[in-house]
Amino acid sequence: MKEFGYKNATTITEALTLLDGQNARVVAGGTNVLPYIRSGKYTDCRLINIRDIKDLNFIKEDSDRITIGACVTISQLKKSKLILEFVPALHQAACVFADPTICNTATVGGNLASASPAADTAPALLVHDAIVFIKSLNSSRSVPLSEFFKAPGTTVLQRNELITHIEISKQKNSGFIKLGMRKSMSISIVTAASSVTLNDAGIISSCKIALGAVAPTPIRAAHTERFLLSKKPDDDTLSALIKATNLDISPIDDIRASADYRREVTPVMVKRAIKLALYEHC
Amino acid sequence: MSEKINIKLKINGVFVTLEVLAHQNLLRALRDNYYWDVKCGCEVGECGTCTVLLDGQAVKSCTVLAAACDGHEIWTDKGLGLSTKLTARIQDAFVECGSVQCGFCTPGMVVAATDYLKNGGKPDRTAIREAISGNLCRCTGYVKIVDAIYKVAKDIEEGLL
Repeated sequence: MKEFGYKNATTITEALTLLDGQNARVVAGGTNVLPYIRSGKYTDCRLINIRDIKDLNFIKEDSDRITIGACVTISQLKKSKLILEFVPALHQAACVFADPTICNTATVGGNLASASPAADTAPALLVHDAIVFIKSLNSSRSVPLSEFFKAPGTTVLQRNELITHIEISKQKNSGFIKLGMRKSMSISIVTAASSVTLNDAGIISSCKIALGAVAPTPIRAAHTERFLLSKKPDDDTLSALIKATNLDISPIDDIRASADYRREVTPVMVKRAIKLALYEHC
Repeated sequence: MSEKINIKLKINGVFVTLEVLAHQNLLRALRDNYYWDVKCGCEVGECGTCTVLLDGQAVKSCTVLAAACDGHEIWTDKGLGLSTKLTARIQDAFVECGSVQCGFCTPGMVVAATDYLKNGGKPDRTAIREAISGNLCRCTGYVKIVDAIYKVAKDIEEGLL
């Protein structure tokens, strides 16, 4: 017999008070939590609903940063003109995220907090230097997204903490691409995001690459980034990044694809993500 | 036993109070209260037959916490069909186009189609397929379902609805 409690929080402080020292779990959209309850992964705890907290639901623009509230849904990201213009990779990730009905409830905070290696928003946010802002009743801190994930399903979040918002930097040249078994409702085999800046001579002056579903957590591909720096993004360079990319990833065999296949296909995805960032502005 | 919660919400235009369990999903809460037009398929957010409108947006009711719907508005396929011209027209089009075989996916498909068309969805087969991409049908191969939604979208475009 299941033994759950329930409380609705209407403010961030109320949610944090309810979380403090209690055996409690946060529910926002519910697209992960409800299946967890059904499968028995979550048992006997108090569910804290944060869906109606207005202070967690906003997209704001500063001079060079964009702030996204934790309870912003994937549909909101998809429709936002700010995201389309300044965070194209995140827009593209939102467009291939699950399906429209899931997008209407799933939140960006939830996608990060459940820490799936295949979380679609993670690589896109990583190439935009996302910083996760976390609060508990007595403290608040911020963690770069690259240090946020610990292992599959595990993050730096404590049980009494809540993600309040995510800050990302604006960058018009970014792109995201996903490889799945089908076009919709698929969990990714590989995802790749890139953000690339060229100098006047057409040489890569800064470059960020992030990958999903090819390591225990979503990762920044440091070797690939170093390899690409100061090179021209022509076909020769992009075809030669296979070695560097394979140093970055540690894929596994699973129900969706084999590790070997992921090793073959990840460099191709990186190549496409870079082309998307450079040549296909939204 | 999980905690029991009383929630007040509007279902198909009527204010109701329901007693739900703390961990219960909206799908179970609706079916327990005789909204049987909402079907239970996979119950993990994959199949889409439990799709309803929550505050005007199509969502899978099996992945929504019932208690969290306190103060919100739900529309199901049946309620929409009885009170809105658009959904009634979609339901008719499903019959006209032969889009219903076993019928189990139909309520979810109709709600997803309603969401698509009321937000200005165009008669564009690719966009229609995308709009119903969260709804599985194992009988029709989707062609006739897309035909039906296309037909209604065309009617709207020509000012017939």
